[in-house]
Amino acid sequence: MEAHAAKRNGVESVWQELVELVNAQFETPPFQRLLGLRFSQARAQALSIQMKHYVANRRDCWAFVAGAAPLSVKRLIWEHEGEELMGDKAAGKVDHITLAVQEGRIFGLSPEDYERVRPLDAAVACFYAWIHLAKDRPWREAVAASAVLEMRNSDDLVRGGSLSYRVGKNLERDLGIPLKRQINNAEHVTADVEHGQLLLEVAREHCHTEEEQQALLRGARESLVIDRAYREQLANMMKALD
Amino acid sequence: MPDIAKLKSTLNEMCNRQYTTDEFQDLLTLPWTMERGRYYVVQNALYTRNRRDCWGYVQAAAPLDVKALVWQHESDELINDPRAGMDHYSLTVKQGEVIGLEREDFEKAELPPMAQAAFLAWHHIAVKGPWLASFTSSQMLERRNNPDIVKDGGMSYRIGKKFENELGISLKRMISLNVHSTADTEHSDMMDGVYDKHVRTQEDYDTVLRAAKQCMAIDRAYRGGLAYVMQRIEG
Repeated sequence: MEAHAAKRNGVESVWQELVELVNAQFETPPFQRLLGLRFSQARAQALSIQMKHYVANRRDCWAFVAGAAPLSVKRLIWEHEGEELMGDKAAGKVDHITLAVQEGRIFGLSPEDYERVRPLDAAVACFYAWIHLAKDRPWREAVAASAVLEMRNSDDLVRGGSLSYRVGKNLERDLGIPLKRQINNAEHVTADVEHGQLLLEVAREHCHTEEEQQALLRGARESLVIDRAYREQLANMMKALD
Repeated sequence: MPDIAKLKSTLNEMCNRQYTTDEFQDLLTLPWTMERGRYYVVQNALYTRNRRDCWGYVQAAAPLDVKALVWQHESDELINDPRAGMDHYSLTVKQGEVIGLEREDFEKAELPPMAQAAFLAWHHIAVKGPWLASFTSSQMLERRNNPDIVKDGGMSYRIGKKFENELGISLKRMISLNVHSTADTEHSDMMDGVYDKHVRTQEDYDTVLRAAKQCMAIDRAYRGGLAYVMQRIEG
Protein backbone atom coordinates (compact mmCIF):
# COMPACT_ATOMS: atom_id res chain seq x y z
CA MET A 1 0.00 0.00 0.00
CA GLU A 2 2.77 2.42 1.01
CA ALA A 3 4.80 1.48 -2.06
CA HIS A 4 1.78 2.15 -4.26
CA ALA A 5 1.23 5.56 -2.67
CA ALA A 6 4.90 6.42 -3.08
CA LYS A 7 4.77 5.51 -6.76
CA ARG A 8 1.67 7.64 -7.23
CA ASN A 9 3.22 10.55 -5.38
CA GLY A 10 6.38 10.23 -7.45
CA VAL A 11 4.40 10.41 -10.68
CA GLU A 12 2.27 13.33 -9.49
CA SER A 13 5.34 15.22 -8.35
CA VAL A 14 7.11 14.72 -11.69
CA TRP A 15 3.95 15.82 -13.46
CA GLN A 16 3.85 19.01 -11.39
CA GLU A 17 7.48 19.65 -12.24
CA LEU A 18 6.71 19.21 -15.94
CA VAL A 19 3.77 21.60 -15.67
CA GLU A 20 6.04 24.18 -14.04
CA LEU A 21 8.61 23.71 -16.79
CA VAL A 22 6.10 24.49 -19.52
CA ASN A 23 4.86 27.52 -17.60
CA ALA A 24 8.41 28.76 -17.13
CA GLN A 25 8.94 28.49 -20.89
CA PHE A 26 6.73 31.56 -21.36
CA GLU A 27 8.92 33.61 -19.04
CA THR A 28 12.10 33.00 -21.06
CA PRO A 29 13.54 35.75 -23.31
CA PRO A 30 12.84 33.90 -26.61
CA PHE A 31 9.17 33.42 -25.77
CA GLN A 32 8.85 36.93 -24.37
CA ARG A 33 10.44 38.33 -27.52
CA LEU A 34 8.27 36.30 -29.89
CA LEU A 35 5.09 37.09 -28.03
CA GLY A 36 6.06 40.73 -27.54
CA LEU A 37 6.28 41.43 -31.26
CA ARG A 38 3.39 43.02 -33.08
CA PHE A 39 2.03 41.29 -36.14
CA SER A 40 2.00 42.81 -39.60
CA GLN A 41 0.50 40.84 -42.46
CA ALA A 42 3.99 39.88 -43.69
CA ARG A 43 4.94 38.61 -40.23
CA ALA A 44 1.71 36.63 -39.93
CA GLN A 45 2.33 35.07 -43.33
CA ALA A 46 5.92 34.12 -42.52
CA LEU A 47 4.97 32.62 -39.17
CA SER A 48 2.05 30.66 -40.61
CA ILE A 49 4.27 29.05 -43.26
CA GLN A 50 6.94 28.16 -40.71
CA MET A 51 4.27 26.61 -38.46
CA LYS A 52 3.26 24.26 -41.28
CA HIS A 53 6.85 22.97 -41.41
CA TYR A 54 6.87 22.65 -37.63
CA VAL A 55 3.70 20.55 -37.74
CA ALA A 56 5.25 18.26 -40.38
CA ASN A 57 8.30 17.76 -38.16
CA ARG A 58 6.00 16.80 -35.26
CA ARG A 59 4.59 14.01 -37.45
CA ASP A 60 8.11 12.65 -38.07
CA CYS A 61 8.98 12.80 -34.39
CA TRP A 62 5.80 11.23 -33.02
CA ALA A 63 6.16 8.27 -35.37
CA PHE A 64 9.78 7.73 -34.29
CA VAL A 65 8.58 7.81 -30.68
CA ALA A 66 5.90 5.24 -31.53
CA GLY A 67 8.50 2.98 -33.14
CA ALA A 68 10.43 2.49 -29.91
CA ALA A 69 7.60 2.66 -27.36
CA PRO A 70 5.69 -0.26 -25.77
CA LEU A 71 2.38 -1.31 -27.33
CA SER A 72 0.14 0.62 -24.92
CA VAL A 73 2.07 3.84 -25.65
CA LYS A 74 2.01 3.12 -29.40
CA ARG A 75 -1.78 3.01 -29.08
CA LEU A 76 -1.92 6.40 -27.34
CA ILE A 77 0.28 7.89 -30.03
CA TRP A 78 -1.79 6.29 -32.79
CA GLU A 79 -4.90 7.98 -31.40
CA HIS A 80 -3.09 11.30 -31.12
CA GLU A 81 -1.80 11.07 -34.67
CA GLY A 82 -5.25 10.28 -36.06
CA GLU A 83 -6.47 13.84 -35.71
CA GLU A 84 -3.17 15.22 -36.95
CA LEU A 85 -2.81 13.04 -40.04
CA MET A 86 -6.38 12.23 -40.95
CA GLY A 87 -8.59 14.85 -39.27
CA ASP A 88 -12.01 13.79 -38.07
CA LYS A 89 -14.27 13.10 -41.04
CA ALA A 90 -17.34 12.59 -38.86
CA ALA A 91 -16.88 16.05 -37.35
CA GLY A 92 -16.01 17.55 -40.75
CA LYS A 93 -12.42 18.26 -39.68
CA VAL A 94 -9.45 18.04 -42.02
CA ASP A 95 -5.92 16.94 -41.10
CA HIS A 96 -3.76 19.53 -39.39
CA ILE A 97 -1.40 20.27 -42.29
CA THR A 98 -4.38 20.97 -44.57
CA LEU A 99 -5.87 23.04 -41.75
CA ALA A 100 -2.70 25.15 -41.51
CA VAL A 101 -2.76 25.76 -45.26
CA GLN A 102 -6.49 26.60 -45.20
CA GLU A 103 -5.93 29.08 -42.38
CA GLY A 104 -3.37 30.80 -44.60
CA ARG A 105 -6.13 32.28 -46.75
CA ILE A 106 -7.00 34.81 -44.05
CA PHE A 107 -3.38 36.02 -44.17
CA GLY A 108 -3.46 36.26 -47.99
CA LEU A 109 -1.48 33.06 -48.59
CA SER A 110 -2.07 30.44 -51.28
CA PRO A 111 -1.36 26.68 -50.92
CA GLU A 112 1.59 27.17 -53.29
CA ASP A 113 3.18 29.63 -50.86
CA TYR A 114 3.40 26.81 -48.30
CA GLU A 115 5.18 24.60 -50.82
CA ARG A 116 7.47 27.30 -52.12
CA VAL A 117 8.83 28.74 -48.87
CA ARG A 118 11.23 26.37 -47.15
CA PRO A 119 11.87 26.17 -43.40
CA LEU A 120 14.39 28.66 -41.99
CA ASP A 121 17.93 27.25 -41.80
CA ALA A 122 17.75 27.46 -38.03
CA ALA A 123 14.43 25.64 -38.10
CA VAL A 124 15.99 22.79 -40.07
CA ALA A 125 18.65 22.49 -37.37
CA CYS A 126 16.00 22.47 -34.63
CA PHE A 127 13.92 19.90 -36.52
CA TYR A 128 16.93 17.56 -36.75
CA ALA A 129 17.59 18.10 -33.05
CA TRP A 130 14.02 17.07 -32.22
CA ILE A 131 14.31 14.07 -34.55
CA HIS A 132 17.47 13.07 -32.69
CA LEU A 133 15.60 13.07 -29.37
CA ALA A 134 12.70 11.12 -30.89
CA LYS A 135 14.80 8.55 -32.70
CA ASP A 136 17.92 7.99 -30.66
CA ARG A 137 16.98 8.51 -27.01
CA PRO A 138 15.46 5.85 -24.74
CA TRP A 139 11.72 5.78 -25.37
CA ARG A 140 10.68 7.56 -22.13
CA GLU A 141 12.92 10.53 -22.94
CA ALA A 142 11.68 10.47 -26.53
CA VAL A 143 8.01 10.50 -25.59
CA ALA A 144 8.57 13.30 -23.07
CA ALA A 145 10.44 15.37 -25.66
CA SER A 146 7.44 15.29 -27.99
CA ALA A 147 4.68 15.36 -25.39
CA VAL A 148 6.05 18.39 -23.54
CA LEU A 149 5.42 20.49 -26.66
CA GLU A 150 1.76 19.52 -26.47
CA MET A 151 1.75 20.38 -22.76
CA ARG A 152 3.21 23.79 -23.56
CA ASN A 153 0.26 24.25 -25.90
CA SER A 154 -2.42 23.20 -23.43
CA ASP A 155 -4.67 25.91 -22.02
CA ASP A 156 -5.39 23.66 -19.06
CA LEU A 157 -1.74 23.55 -18.03
CA VAL A 158 -0.32 26.93 -19.00
CA ARG A 159 -1.42 29.84 -16.87
CA GLY A 160 -2.39 32.76 -19.11
CA GLY A 161 -2.97 30.52 -22.12
CA SER A 162 -1.06 28.25 -24.44
CA LEU A 163 1.24 29.33 -27.23
CA SER A 164 -1.44 28.87 -29.92
CA TYR A 165 -3.87 30.91 -27.80
CA ARG A 166 -1.40 33.73 -27.19
CA VAL A 167 -0.32 33.93 -30.84
CA GLY A 168 -4.00 33.82 -31.83
CA LYS A 169 -4.85 36.69 -29.47
CA ASN A 170 -1.92 38.75 -30.80
CA LEU A 171 -3.16 38.19 -34.36
CA GLU A 172 -6.63 39.26 -33.26
CA ARG A 173 -5.25 42.39 -31.60
CA ASP A 174 -2.88 43.41 -34.41
CA LEU A 175 -4.71 42.31 -37.57
CA GLY A 176 -8.30 42.29 -36.34
CA ILE A 177 -8.77 38.61 -37.20
CA PRO A 178 -10.89 36.95 -34.49
CA LEU A 179 -9.34 33.82 -32.98
CA LYS A 180 -12.28 31.70 -34.10
CA ARG A 181 -11.50 32.59 -37.76
CA GLN A 182 -7.93 31.40 -37.24
CA ILE A 183 -9.02 27.82 -37.77
CA ASN A 184 -5.64 26.23 -37.13
CA ASN A 185 -4.86 28.18 -33.95
CA ALA A 186 -8.42 27.72 -32.68
CA GLU A 187 -8.23 23.95 -33.31
CA HIS A 188 -4.95 23.63 -31.43
CA VAL A 189 -6.22 25.67 -28.51
CA THR A 190 -8.79 22.91 -27.89
CA ALA A 191 -7.03 19.80 -29.28
CA ASP A 192 -3.85 20.25 -27.26
CA VAL A 193 -5.75 20.33 -23.97
CA GLU A 194 -6.43 16.62 -24.50
CA HIS A 195 -3.04 15.92 -26.09
CA GLY A 196 -1.37 17.63 -23.13
CA GLN A 197 -2.51 14.79 -20.88
CA LEU A 198 -0.77 12.04 -22.87
CA LEU A 199 2.42 12.19 -20.88
CA LEU A 200 0.56 11.87 -17.59
CA GLU A 201 -1.02 8.64 -18.83
CA VAL A 202 2.38 7.33 -19.88
CA ALA A 203 3.91 8.31 -16.52
CA ARG A 204 1.17 6.59 -14.55
CA GLU A 205 1.56 3.35 -16.46
CA HIS A 206 5.27 3.20 -17.18
CA CYS A 207 7.29 5.50 -14.92
CA HIS A 208 7.37 4.13 -11.40
CA THR A 209 11.02 4.37 -10.44
CA GLU A 210 13.06 7.49 -9.79
CA GLU A 211 15.18 6.68 -12.84
CA GLU A 212 12.15 6.35 -15.13
CA GLN A 213 10.71 9.61 -13.85
CA GLN A 214 14.02 11.40 -14.31
CA ALA A 215 14.05 10.18 -17.92
CA LEU A 216 10.80 12.07 -18.52
CA LEU A 217 12.25 15.26 -17.07
CA ARG A 218 15.45 14.89 -19.08
CA GLY A 219 13.60 14.48 -22.38
CA ALA A 220 11.23 17.34 -21.59
CA ARG A 221 14.00 19.77 -20.57
CA GLU A 222 16.06 19.10 -23.69
CA SER A 223 13.07 19.52 -25.94
CA LEU A 224 12.20 22.83 -24.29
CA VAL A 225 15.75 24.06 -24.94
CA ILE A 226 15.28 23.34 -28.65
CA ASP A 227 11.85 24.95 -28.48
CA ARG A 228 13.41 28.15 -27.09
CA ALA A 229 16.09 28.16 -29.77
CA TYR A 230 13.41 27.67 -32.43
CA ARG A 231 11.13 30.42 -31.12
CA GLU A 232 14.09 32.81 -30.87
CA GLN A 233 14.75 32.29 -34.58
CA LEU A 234 11.10 32.82 -35.42
CA ALA A 235 11.26 36.09 -33.51
CA ASN A 236 14.38 37.07 -35.48
CA MET A 237 12.62 36.25 -38.74
CA MET A 238 9.60 38.34 -37.79
CA LYS A 239 11.69 41.24 -36.53
CA ALA A 240 13.57 41.32 -39.84
CA LEU A 241 10.25 41.84 -41.63
CA ASP A 242 9.86 45.42 -40.34
CA MET B 1 10.59 6.71 -65.85
CA PRO B 2 11.11 3.27 -64.28
CA ASP B 3 8.76 0.42 -65.22
CA ILE B 4 6.62 0.06 -62.09
CA ALA B 5 4.61 -2.87 -63.41
CA LYS B 6 7.85 -4.74 -63.90
CA LEU B 7 9.01 -3.76 -60.41
CA LYS B 8 5.81 -5.11 -58.84
CA SER B 9 6.00 -8.29 -60.83
CA THR B 10 9.61 -8.81 -59.70
CA LEU B 11 8.54 -8.28 -56.07
CA ASN B 12 5.73 -10.80 -56.56
CA GLU B 13 8.14 -13.37 -57.99
CA MET B 14 10.42 -12.88 -54.98
CA CYS B 15 7.48 -13.49 -52.65
CA ASN B 16 6.52 -16.71 -54.43
CA ARG B 17 10.12 -17.94 -54.60
CA GLN B 18 10.40 -17.49 -50.83
CA TYR B 19 8.19 -20.54 -50.28
CA THR B 20 10.45 -22.80 -52.33
CA THR B 21 13.59 -21.99 -50.32
CA ASP B 22 15.14 -24.51 -47.92
CA GLU B 23 14.39 -22.34 -44.90
CA PHE B 24 10.67 -22.00 -45.68
CA GLN B 25 10.44 -25.65 -46.67
CA ASP B 26 12.12 -26.69 -43.41
CA LEU B 27 9.44 -24.84 -41.46
CA LEU B 28 6.47 -25.75 -43.61
CA THR B 29 7.29 -29.48 -43.86
CA LEU B 30 8.08 -29.83 -40.16
CA PRO B 31 5.61 -32.25 -38.54
CA TRP B 32 3.31 -30.13 -36.36
CA THR B 33 2.83 -31.24 -32.76
CA MET B 34 0.84 -29.32 -30.17
CA GLU B 35 4.02 -28.16 -28.43
CA ARG B 36 5.52 -26.97 -31.69
CA GLY B 37 2.26 -25.26 -32.59
CA ARG B 38 2.21 -23.45 -29.25
CA TYR B 39 5.80 -22.36 -29.68
CA TYR B 40 5.06 -20.99 -33.15
CA VAL B 41 2.01 -19.03 -31.98
CA VAL B 42 3.94 -17.40 -29.13
CA GLN B 43 6.84 -16.52 -31.41
CA ASN B 44 4.43 -15.12 -33.94
CA ALA B 45 3.12 -12.68 -31.31
CA LEU B 46 6.67 -11.42 -30.81
CA TYR B 47 7.05 -11.13 -34.59
CA THR B 48 3.87 -9.03 -34.64
CA ARG B 49 5.37 -6.71 -32.02
CA ASN B 50 8.50 -6.27 -34.09
CA ARG B 51 6.29 -5.33 -37.06
CA ARG B 52 4.68 -2.57 -34.97
CA ASP B 53 8.12 -1.12 -34.12
CA CYS B 54 9.21 -1.23 -37.75
CA TRP B 55 6.02 0.26 -39.19
CA GLY B 56 6.36 3.07 -36.63
CA TYR B 57 9.80 3.89 -38.01
CA VAL B 58 8.55 3.63 -41.58
CA GLN B 59 5.83 6.15 -40.74
CA ALA B 60 8.38 8.48 -39.19
CA ALA B 61 10.62 8.75 -42.22
CA ALA B 62 8.00 8.64 -44.98
CA PRO B 63 6.32 11.57 -46.74
CA LEU B 64 2.98 12.75 -45.37
CA ASP B 65 0.74 10.81 -47.76
CA VAL B 66 2.54 7.56 -46.87
CA LYS B 67 2.43 8.44 -43.16
CA ALA B 68 -1.37 8.64 -43.45
CA LEU B 69 -1.48 5.23 -45.17
CA VAL B 70 0.68 3.61 -42.52
CA TRP B 71 -1.47 5.16 -39.80
CA GLN B 72 -4.57 3.59 -41.39
CA HIS B 73 -2.78 0.27 -41.68
CA GLU B 74 -1.81 0.36 -38.02
CA SER B 75 -5.43 0.85 -37.01
CA ASP B 76 -6.19 -2.87 -37.55
CA GLU B 77 -2.97 -3.86 -35.89
CA LEU B 78 -2.94 -1.63 -32.82
CA ILE B 79 -6.51 -0.56 -32.14
CA ASN B 80 -9.25 -2.69 -33.68
CA ASP B 81 -9.60 -4.87 -36.75
CA PRO B 82 -13.32 -4.93 -37.59
CA ARG B 83 -12.83 -8.44 -39.02
CA ALA B 84 -11.90 -9.64 -35.54
CA GLY B 85 -13.35 -7.08 -33.14
CA MET B 86 -9.96 -6.53 -31.50
CA ASP B 87 -6.38 -5.48 -32.21
CA HIS B 88 -3.99 -8.02 -33.68
CA TYR B 89 -1.88 -8.60 -30.58
CA SER B 90 -4.99 -9.33 -28.49
CA LEU B 91 -6.14 -11.55 -31.35
CA THR B 92 -2.96 -13.61 -31.16
CA VAL B 93 -3.28 -13.97 -27.40
CA LYS B 94 -6.95 -14.97 -27.77
CA GLN B 95 -6.02 -17.51 -30.43
CA GLY B 96 -3.55 -19.01 -27.98
CA GLU B 97 -6.41 -20.05 -25.70
CA VAL B 98 -7.52 -22.58 -28.32
CA ILE B 99 -4.24 -24.45 -27.93
CA GLY B 100 -3.91 -24.05 -24.17
CA LEU B 101 -1.79 -20.91 -23.97
CA GLU B 102 -2.29 -18.17 -21.39
CA ARG B 103 -1.43 -14.46 -21.56
CA GLU B 104 1.51 -15.15 -19.27
CA ASP B 105 3.03 -17.51 -21.86
CA PHE B 106 3.23 -14.59 -24.26
CA GLU B 107 4.55 -12.16 -21.69
CA LYS B 108 7.40 -14.35 -20.47
CA ALA B 109 8.37 -15.64 -23.94
CA GLU B 110 11.96 -15.26 -25.10
CA LEU B 111 13.30 -14.93 -28.58
CA PRO B 112 15.61 -17.63 -29.91
CA PRO B 113 18.97 -16.24 -31.12
CA MET B 114 18.15 -16.22 -34.83
CA ALA B 115 14.86 -14.42 -34.18
CA GLN B 116 16.69 -11.79 -32.11
CA ALA B 117 19.16 -11.24 -34.92
CA ALA B 118 16.41 -11.07 -37.55
CA PHE B 119 14.35 -8.59 -35.54
CA LEU B 120 17.38 -6.34 -35.04
CA ALA B 121 18.13 -6.57 -38.75
CA TRP B 122 14.58 -5.52 -39.74
CA HIS B 123 14.75 -2.81 -37.11
CA HIS B 124 18.03 -1.58 -38.59
CA ILE B 125 16.59 -1.27 -42.11
CA ALA B 126 13.48 0.47 -40.75
CA VAL B 127 15.49 3.04 -38.80
CA LYS B 128 18.52 3.59 -40.99
CA GLY B 129 17.34 2.95 -44.53
CA PRO B 130 16.17 5.60 -46.96
CA TRP B 131 12.41 5.74 -46.41
CA LEU B 132 11.62 3.74 -49.58
CA ALA B 133 13.87 0.94 -48.31
CA SER B 134 12.26 1.00 -44.85
CA PHE B 135 8.84 0.93 -46.43
CA THR B 136 9.66 -1.89 -48.84
CA SER B 137 11.22 -4.01 -46.12
CA SER B 138 8.00 -3.90 -44.09
CA GLN B 139 5.65 -4.08 -47.05
CA MET B 140 7.33 -7.20 -48.49
CA LEU B 141 6.37 -9.25 -45.43
CA GLU B 142 2.71 -8.47 -46.01
CA ARG B 143 3.09 -8.97 -49.73
CA ARG B 144 4.43 -12.46 -49.20
CA ASN B 145 1.43 -13.13 -46.95
CA ASN B 146 -1.04 -12.01 -49.62
CA PRO B 147 -2.92 -14.98 -51.12
CA ASP B 148 -3.72 -12.93 -54.21
CA ILE B 149 0.01 -12.76 -54.91
CA VAL B 150 1.36 -16.02 -53.49
CA LYS B 151 0.16 -19.13 -55.27
CA ASP B 152 -1.20 -21.72 -52.80
CA GLY B 153 -1.61 -19.13 -50.03
CA GLY B 154 0.51 -16.96 -47.79
CA MET B 155 2.35 -17.98 -44.64
CA SER B 156 -0.61 -17.44 -42.28
CA TYR B 157 -2.82 -19.63 -44.47
CA ARG B 158 -0.23 -22.39 -44.77
CA ILE B 159 0.49 -22.48 -41.05
CA GLY B 160 -3.24 -22.38 -40.37
CA LYS B 161 -3.68 -25.40 -42.62
CA LYS B 162 -0.98 -27.26 -40.69
CA PHE B 163 -2.97 -26.75 -37.49
CA GLU B 164 -6.04 -28.01 -39.33
CA ASN B 165 -4.52 -30.99 -41.15
CA GLU B 166 -2.04 -32.18 -38.54
CA LEU B 167 -3.69 -31.23 -35.25
CA GLY B 168 -7.34 -31.20 -36.24
CA ILE B 169 -7.90 -27.55 -35.23
CA SER B 170 -9.87 -25.81 -37.96
CA LEU B 171 -8.43 -22.66 -39.50
CA LYS B 172 -11.58 -20.82 -38.43
CA ARG B 173 -10.68 -21.45 -34.77
CA MET B 174 -7.12 -20.17 -35.27
CA ILE B 175 -8.55 -16.67 -35.40
CA SER B 176 -5.33 -14.73 -35.84
CA LEU B 177 -3.98 -16.91 -38.63
CA ASN B 178 -7.42 -16.87 -40.24
CA VAL B 179 -7.70 -13.07 -40.13
CA HIS B 180 -4.16 -12.67 -41.46
CA SER B 181 -4.83 -15.02 -44.35
CA THR B 182 -7.10 -12.29 -45.70
CA ALA B 183 -6.07 -9.08 -43.86
CA ASP B 184 -2.71 -8.97 -45.56
CA THR B 185 -4.38 -8.93 -48.96
CA GLU B 186 -5.91 -5.60 -48.02
CA HIS B 187 -2.78 -4.38 -46.23
CA SER B 188 -0.56 -5.31 -49.13
CA ASP B 189 -2.92 -3.80 -51.73
CA MET B 190 -3.39 -0.51 -49.87
CA MET B 191 0.36 0.07 -49.92
CA ASP B 192 0.94 -0.88 -53.57
CA GLY B 193 0.14 2.60 -54.86
CA VAL B 194 3.16 3.96 -52.99
CA TYR B 195 5.42 2.50 -55.66
CA ASP B 196 3.34 4.10 -58.44
CA LYS B 197 3.57 7.50 -56.82
CA HIS B 198 7.03 7.57 -55.30
CA VAL B 199 9.35 5.44 -57.44
CA ARG B 200 10.46 8.12 -59.88
CA THR B 201 14.07 7.34 -60.74
CA GLN B 202 16.26 4.34 -61.41
CA GLU B 203 17.84 4.96 -58.02
CA ASP B 204 14.43 4.66 -56.34
CA TYR B 205 13.79 1.48 -58.31
CA ASP B 206 17.11 -0.02 -57.24
CA THR B 207 16.50 1.03 -53.61
CA VAL B 208 13.20 -0.87 -53.58
CA LEU B 209 14.71 -4.00 -55.12
CA ARG B 210 17.71 -3.96 -52.80
CA ALA B 211 15.52 -3.58 -49.71
CA ALA B 212 13.17 -6.30 -50.90
CA LYS B 213 16.09 -8.71 -51.34
CA GLN B 214 17.50 -7.84 -47.92
CA CYS B 215 14.10 -8.27 -46.29
CA MET B 216 13.52 -11.64 -47.93
CA ALA B 217 16.98 -12.81 -46.80
CA ILE B 218 16.21 -11.82 -43.20
CA ASP B 219 12.80 -13.49 -43.50
CA ARG B 220 14.44 -16.73 -44.66
CA ALA B 221 16.95 -16.57 -41.83
CA TYR B 222 14.10 -16.03 -39.36
CA ARG B 223 11.92 -18.87 -40.67
CA GLY B 224 14.92 -21.20 -40.90
CA GLY B 225 15.85 -20.26 -37.34
CA LEU B 226 12.35 -21.07 -36.11
CA ALA B 227 12.41 -24.44 -37.90
CA TYR B 228 15.79 -25.21 -36.30
CA VAL B 229 14.49 -24.55 -32.79
CA MET B 230 11.12 -26.21 -33.38
CA GLN B 231 12.70 -29.42 -34.68
CA ARG B 232 14.21 -29.81 -31.23
CA ILE B 233 10.88 -29.52 -29.41
CA GLU B 234 9.72 -32.96 -28.33
CA GLY B 235 6.11 -33.93 -27.87
